[in-house]
Amino acid sequence: MPYHEFECSTCIPERKKHAVVKGPGETLADALPLGYLNTIPGTISERGCAYCGAKHVIGTPMKDVIHISHGPVGCTYDTWQTKRYISDNDNFQLKYTFATDVKEKHIVFGAEKLLKQNIIEAFKAHPDIKRMTIYQTCATALIGDDIDAIAQEVMEELPDVDIFVCNSPGFAGPSQSGGHHKINIAWIKNKVGTVEPEITSDYVINYVGEYNIQGDQEVMQDFFKRMGIQILSTFTGNGSYDDLRAMHKAHLNVLECARSAEYICNELRVKYGIPRLDIDGFGFEPLGNSLRKVGLFFGIEDRAQKIIDEETARWKPELDWYKARLTGKKVCLWPGGSKLWHWAHVIHDEMGLDVVSVYTKFGHQGDMEKGIARCEQGALAIDDPNELEGLEAMNRLQPDIIFTGKRPGEVAKKIRVPYLNAHAYHNGPWKGWEGWVRFARDIYNGIYSPIHELSKLDISKDEIPTDKGFKTARMISDADLPEAVRNDPNLRRYTGKYDMVAELRERTYPEFARQGAQEAAA
Amino acid sequence: MSDLKTERIEQMLDYIMKKCLWQFHSRAWDRRDQNQGILSKTTQLLCDEHVALETPADRCYWVDAVCLAEAFRERLPWLAGMSVPEIKDLMQGLHERLDYLTIDGSLNEELTDQMY
Ligand code: SF4
Repeated sequence: MPYHEFECSTCIPERKKHAVVKGPGETLADALPLGYLNTIPGTISERGCAYCGAKHVIGTPMKDVIHISHGPVGCTYDTWQTKRYISDNDNFQLKYTFATDVKEKHIVFGAEKLLKQNIIEAFKAHPDIKRMTIYQTCATALIGDDIDAIAQEVMEELPDVDIFVCNSPGFAGPSQSGGHHKINIAWIKNKVGTVEPEITSDYVINYVGEYNIQGDQEVMQDFFKRMGIQILSTFTGNGSYDDLRAMHKAHLNVLECARSAEYICNELRVKYGIPRLDIDGFGFEPLGNSLRKVGLFFGIEDRAQKIIDEETARWKPELDWYKARLTGKKVCLWPGGSKLWHWAHVIHDEMGLDVVSVYTKFGHQGDMEKGIARCEQGALAIDDPNELEGLEAMNRLQPDIIFTGKRPGEVAKKIRVPYLNAHAYHNGPWKGWEGWVRFARDIYNGIYSPIHELSKLDISKDEIPTDKGFKTARMISDADLPEAVRNDPNLRRYTGKYDMVAELRERTYPEFARQGAQEAAA
Repeated sequence: MSDLKTERIEQMLDYIMKKCLWQFHSRAWDRRDQNQGILSKTTQLLCDEHVALETPADRCYWVDAVCLAEAFRERLPWLAGMSVPEIKDLMQGLHERLDYLTIDGSLNEELTDQMY
């Protein structure tokens, strides 16, 4: 696998080791991009900071918590409402964000008093919420505020509250990934084991590395509940603070995003002997295999199989409608960390898309190993690209769509490449069988949106055709499809509802007799 | 190694690399445990031998092994015609190759980090 040098980066020679092309007959032992290194001066990275990684990705999805940043209001602004991790308690954690609003005078005289005043004020303003996470930022780390001491003081004064302190200032790592690590370790050190849970099933899991983007966690929770499995905690999407303090009592850690949350699984394995099972929640086949594995672990694989059969029968005709129209379309798969390997093979296998490039902003070399192993030959793999490299890659590869974050996504739009938001989604959830069809629909709508036909014309120089009418997405996507596929009676477009999560919240689940109870009755 | 054996190992490897995640834990010692735990149990399953499930960790390896053995049987028809010693030999070769690609020959600089 030859390393790839971007023309725009010849003046930054270190960048050459950050990109490779997956060549024929070559293996991961031939070349691998460097990763998780400090950003090279002169290259404008699109990464976030370690505070952002701790708060924005992992901390804030916890739903019944006041999340307060101890620092200037600007840090908080960048982590507010930009990711759609909803929750079933009316989205408290999305609706409210808190900052201590540190100013220059506090930098000079200290901000501990200000912090205490803010904590008390926030608890008073929300008397129903008794849990809080405090996030350190660069400024308050540098002046040395003792956040732990203040939190302790408040907990003594208000005995019904519990506070978690996350010391992960922006500079605590090369990227947001440093913050993921810090908050994982701080949580297991300080909070796991401080609550004893009620166990209601013979099969108890922690669902780890899942952030409930537009309802993903609730989709997966539905499957687990249908199998009679108790989800003791979800780390952290739609997760409850006290449930997460009881993680030590699970039988199995089911790990989704290993990039952001493998640390806590590894520690739970070492400290409490709970095994770690890595799964894929995206795509029909990988998700089916994942549920089967969890089922096998507990000896209830028949329950998983029932779900797989029902869901596949219901949704396959719809997925295949989109597959027929997406086959051969070129994709740059440019997410943050884990989706490059969650999606690289399965969007190819199940939607017919060709992944021409994978990148990661904050992934480590392990993520690149997984991503490169899963993508097809010829793909360009890039670690932490800068904006110019992204543009050069798009000009060279001519993708039909890119899946990325909103900053690089807006750049892509400028060169007329549609993008889907890989972090916050468009019309998710995208997990589960139905979710996967919603993803396919979003890709279809992205690629075939009539706006692209119009936006390619520059009214200042192009001739505007007046003899042709407006073309709908369907007219564009079906133009070259064979008649038999176009009108295949076995295929259909997505028929689910606009909001598929509300119904899940209303569902009731079968009661499965517990083995202990059966033995007692015998 | 014969060409046929190499080709068969590559076919098995292709499945693991594309579809599995267990071989890519983040530290060398962890990868070694994973590869050993899952591939030894897969071999036992393919050879119809008893698989010990004494600890939760054993069970977790076994879960991945069951799925891998099933996938191999389904996708690699030549497995059905092989004897037990032949399967063991082939799986040994697969294990060595996987250890090389994910551990000993891996370019991942984090594998030897002492901490998680
Ligand atoms: S780098 Fe520091 S100052 Fe900037 S947002 Fe992150 S914590 Fe705040």
